[in-house]
Amino acid sequence: VCTSRFWFNYRHVANTLSVYRSVKRLGIPDSHIVLMLADDMACNPRNPKPATVFSHKNMELNVYGDDVEVDYRSYEVTVENFLRVLTGRIPPSTPRSKRLLSDDRSNILIYMTGHGGNGFLKFQDSEEITNVELADAFEQMWQKRRYNELLFIIDTCQGASMYERFYSPNIMALASSQVGEDSLSHQPDLGIGVHLMDRYTFYVLEFLEEIHPASQTNMNDLFQVCPKSLCVSTPGHRTDLFQRDPQNVLITDFFGSVRKVEITAETLSLDRDVPGLESKLPEEELATEPLKYAEQLPVAQIIHQKPKQKDWHPPGGFILGLWALIIMVFFKTYGIKHMKHVF
Amino acid sequence: MAAPLVLVVLAAVTVRAALYRSSLAAFIAERVEVASPLNAWKRVVEGLALLDLGVSPYSGAIFHETPLIIYLFHFLIEYAELVFMITDVLTAVALYLAIQDFNKVVFKKQKLLIELDKYAPDVAELIQTPMEMHYIPLKVALFYLLNPYTVMSCVAKSTCAINNSVIAFFILATIKGSAFLSAVFLALATYQSLYPLTLFAPALLYLLQRQFIPVKLKSKSFWLYTMQYASLYLCSLVVIICLSFFLLNSWDFIPSVYGFILSVPDLTPNIGLFWYFFAEMFEHFSLFFVCVFQINVFFYTIPLAIKLKEHPVFFLFVQLAIISIFKSYPTVGDVALYMAFLPVWSHLYRFLRNIFILSCVLIFCSFLFPVLWHLWIYAGSANSNFYYAITLTFNIGQILLISDYFYAFLRREYYLTHGLHLTRQDGTEAMLVLK
Repeated sequence: VCTSRFWFNYRHVANTLSVYRSVKRLGIPDSHIVLMLADDMACNPRNPKPATVFSHKNMELNVYGDDVEVDYRSYEVTVENFLRVLTGRIPPSTPRSKRLLSDDRSNILIYMTGHGGNGFLKFQDSEEITNVELADAFEQMWQKRRYNELLFIIDTCQGASMYERFYSPNIMALASSQVGEDSLSHQPDLGIGVHLMDRYTFYVLEFLEEIHPASQTNMNDLFQVCPKSLCVSTPGHRTDLFQRDPQNVLITDFFGSVRKVEITAETLSLDRDVPGLESKLPEEELATEPLKYAEQLPVAQIIHQKPKQKDWHPPGGFILGLWALIIMVFFKTYGIKHMKHVF
Repeated sequence: MAAPLVLVVLAAVTVRAALYRSSLAAFIAERVEVASPLNAWKRVVEGLALLDLGVSPYSGAIFHETPLIIYLFHFLIEYAELVFMITDVLTAVALYLAIQDFNKVVFKKQKLLIELDKYAPDVAELIQTPMEMHYIPLKVALFYLLNPYTVMSCVAKSTCAINNSVIAFFILATIKGSAFLSAVFLALATYQSLYPLTLFAPALLYLLQRQFIPVKLKSKSFWLYTMQYASLYLCSLVVIICLSFFLLNSWDFIPSVYGFILSVPDLTPNIGLFWYFFAEMFEHFSLFFVCVFQINVFFYTIPLAIKLKEHPVFFLFVQLAIISIFKSYPTVGDVALYMAFLPVWSHLYRFLRNIFILSCVLIFCSFLFPVLWHLWIYAGSANSNFYYAITLTFNIGQILLISDYFYAFLRREYYLTHGLHLTRQDGTEAMLVLK
């Protein structure tokens, strides 16, 4: 969820889109992601590179592209919509892509970024969500069995105040700064003119880039990301509501969609009619190489030119009729005697 | 006379070519005074692109050109600039030849009237001589080609140039006396934009004059000739419209072109009078006022025909001016066409009363148009009233110009028959006043 709009909050959109991309890279499909953005960066008239949102200086990584599916855009990102998505109290006409279709076996990752303060998070410059509301929303989710485990990451100023009030079990929370501290942004890009990322998210992403679907990195490593020397603010985390030990919680439990696969050595005959056929051993799928950010299509290739087609031709009858008329008029005015000379 | 004309043509082509290559071309092409929804080049390209994609260009509200324009530009779209330059040159040459012939007609008539002693004895200074009229055709061509309005229209590639060209050919055919060609070109002009329908009356009057058929309502030959001409005109119009049907196999173009011209749905600001009124109007009045405004264009034909039946070419000029002032989507290209005729009546100069102030008004308003547009749309410190005020002033200037010329023309005719020094009953000097 990115709760800011306007051009100078470019970095919040870039944050959110970068996390979105990591999560997609690690296997979670769009149908399982609810992305809420103001979405006014790519087509902003102040954007010197239209249709792009860059997350790294020198414009190396375009995190906007053809396959970004924004579920709640622009003025739909409101506190009400956010809480409705979480609690499931949505009007029946809402499409599936805008619903959080989770059940009691789902692990949910919630990433929020924007401008915040002590106990509140500002939505779209016009309203706020308080930590009490958020905690109550999570309690509703727990009572309706809408999650198994929930990871809440927030990258705003005084972010730790947002998770102070949680009281539902199985919630782990991370924040980019403590109460009384501001989260700072990372480098500005002089070509685009705004800051491209926030520090905490930048280092989280650096950390996530090393994760691939089969990695065994656990939550404790995530807690170490972005120490005060790099981040200037002190990131905080809260694990008291979580039942498992963070040491045993894999990053991919929340960030990726990893299927649990078992290898069996015994043959299973699936078809009675063909007894001689041995089924192949199911193999565990391993990502052979981690996908890197840099391996994406440059924008110039994405915007391609359609070739000019000239498929329409005037019908023959029309051309014949028109020129017959013209010739008739010509000979009517200048006399038939010229026809002798023409032929 | 050919050499100076060629020189003028070359100069005009150079100016246009230079402007095409400069950065002003894009700026001029999007100005609303030059490109109206009826004749903007962007819309022609859009319509042809839609056609290439297999969609009828009339399906949206973008394209309002006739099928013959589609046919013309389907093959010539890459050479669009050349086409427009050649169109302008053709218009100028047609006007040149027409005015040359017209001068000969004027002389003949003048000679006839002098011999018939219709003129008063002391009007020697009012009679036109060949010496002073020698350069008028060249001046007409010059006025048309080097008029900034025409140049801007050409650079914007507005199809108004094609409309002007068809009307110029119609005028040439009429003055040469060929009823058939005149009817054909008038049908083409009416087919392009509806308003040249009103030019039927002056053309008819001119052709009657040329055939020496007096215009009397009881005369059989008058009605016979009128019927002939009208039937030629209507038949060619019907033939052209039916031919256009076969281009796209649909009658879609009729509501898109003529329905659009008559019902004025698009209220983009232009130099005309329609847009502001209809932007401010309530829905249930708009039909009534559309009818009123459209009748206004056609309304002056009959009174002018009655008054100016001896002078059909002047009637043509006034009618052209009325069309370009009161039509639903005027552009400066239309203004340029009737302004090209002003040298023909340069002998009326001594009778024009307001020519200085009117030319100042017209020039000033032409410069103020882009200024107030900028203030309204971009700076936001003006509103549509400012732009409409300038539109109104420009149109008032045009109307006063035409009525000034009308007054001067009638005054000269009066002096010709009644003598320059008018005396009242008691012998004191009298003044001629237009009531």
